[in-house]
Amino acid sequence: MLEVRHLKVWYGVTEVLRDVSFEVPEGRIVALLGGNGSGKTTIINTLSGLLRPRAGDIVFDGADVAGRPSDHMVKAGIVQVPQGREVFASMTVNENLELGAATRRDRAGIRDDVDRMYELFPHIAERRGQRAGSLSGGEQQQVAIGRALMARPKLLLMDEPSVGLSPIIVDMVIETVRALHARGLTILIVEQNVGVAAAVAEDAFVLKDGAIAFKGDAPGLIDNPEVLSSYLGR
Amino acid sequence: MQVLVGKRAFLTALFVFLFVIPWIANEYHTFVANLILLYVILSLGLNLLIGFAGQLALANAAMYGIGAYGTGLLMKHFGLPFWISAPGGVAIAVISGTLLALPALRLSGIYLALATLAFAQFTFWLMTHWTPVTFGAGGFIPPPIDFSPLPITQETGIYYLSWGAALVLYVFAKHAMESPIGRAFVAIRDGEVAAQALGIDLLKYKSLAFALSGFYAGVAGALYSGMLGFVGPESFDLLQMVLHKAAVVLGGMGSVIGSLIGGVLLTVLVELTKEFKFSIEVAFGGLLIVFVLFQPNGVIVFVRRLLPGWNERLHYVPPGKETEEDFGAVPETDPEAPAEPDDPAEVPATQPRGGGPV
Repeated sequence: MLEVRHLKVWYGVTEVLRDVSFEVPEGRIVALLGGNGSGKTTIINTLSGLLRPRAGDIVFDGADVAGRPSDHMVKAGIVQVPQGREVFASMTVNENLELGAATRRDRAGIRDDVDRMYELFPHIAERRGQRAGSLSGGEQQQVAIGRALMARPKLLLMDEPSVGLSPIIVDMVIETVRALHARGLTILIVEQNVGVAAAVAEDAFVLKDGAIAFKGDAPGLIDNPEVLSSYLGR
Repeated sequence: MQVLVGKRAFLTALFVFLFVIPWIANEYHTFVANLILLYVILSLGLNLLIGFAGQLALANAAMYGIGAYGTGLLMKHFGLPFWISAPGGVAIAVISGTLLALPALRLSGIYLALATLAFAQFTFWLMTHWTPVTFGAGGFIPPPIDFSPLPITQETGIYYLSWGAALVLYVFAKHAMESPIGRAFVAIRDGEVAAQALGIDLLKYKSLAFALSGFYAGVAGALYSGMLGFVGPESFDLLQMVLHKAAVVLGGMGSVIGSLIGGVLLTVLVELTKEFKFSIEVAFGGLLIVFVLFQPNGVIVFVRRLLPGWNERLHYVPPGKETEEDFGAVPETDPEAPAEPDDPAEVPATQPRGGGPV
């Protein structure tokens, strides 16, 4: 479904992604691992159209979408759940969800999808009239995921969904990812936390110094001391 | 209690009162009422930009000046009637305002404030020093405005034009901010990256926010040149910018009705300061600091507390104040978090849990 080939991204004069190639097959959960500053978020933001690559291809559903603006990426079906959740704090849960459908024009469909999000996340349904900034971290994560799903993505990008959350909430996030996968959604999850990646993903790519240093199956990663020590600093 | 003073009843009373002022009040009070109408327009326009869209721009006084100069100079140099010059002046203000959106695409916060302030100072310099066109520091007197066939004076004519403009622009701001436009503005304010990642077009909505505030300030400027019958640079200096900002903060950032209240309060306070011969700079600089520190949401917060019916859908919440009494306390971590794994063994025991170092 997604194929990234020889992606190069620079911030001004700094090369962040040297040569990144990986693929996300339809219906799979793929994890992208790497330490701080290895370029994980840069990949997510390039796939979202927030950054323009200097070179390389991003082939999505058979079309090269590299360098397209974010609204185009969202319409094409690539939507991200940003790191740190980034809910719209002064708007209600309901308004946050509706904003997820910013690129859609089908009012009735949007209304149905909001109801479906409340079925998926019954807990935030009780809080639909509350301002998102007043929710707990776990609730905000649900709002952020629901908001991204409102765009009807084909490929969901999740940037460190476990960061800053308590273990019980991390488990909730893992369950949510599994539930979305069971519904057929393709997911690219970026993590520093190998445990989370191993728990949900099927394939894994390890990023180091702006390039893919290792690829393999995700559940096996946790038993691979060589990869853990040389690429993830454990 | 909200039954006593509904929002709509208050607005109707205010605008009816302002409508009859020229009949019942003396010349000075009518002039102050006209200033109130202009400051309501200025405060509304600036609030759309800084309160809703979250763009900290300091060029509103310059836009106001461009509207006034544009209108007056088109009349003076080209002999055009007010009815053509005023839209011309407003158009120039809108164009300059929209161009300011370009730095806003790259800059935010204090850097955007500095860039727009530099633009404002440049505009002020042009007004003062480009003598062949702007008549320099002494200003100029635009030709009188012809309201015929209506049997009214220029003062009365401008007053009712201002009244109509303030009413229309208030209603427009209210509806625009309740529409998807308002939501997109607030989304950009709350989280620019998240908004962009959801496909909200930053260029489009930032330009729109700057264009709208340029339009509001331009309309106020055009009316100002007609109201005063004189246009000079000192009306559009840094103090003027402080007054606009004070009106927005006093009323309530991100509140349309707050801007209405802020415009009224500010004008009355300015006139009182003059009455008591107190330094305007000190009074409003100080007032701005006190409000930013202690009540950044403005007087509208007190009104909302007394009259719950005055709540607006997208009112401003300053960072870090999200758990204020406005929405009721919510525990930081919720013990009832749903969807716990049925079988803890599903997650490998060696898994580093939570956000700890890996």
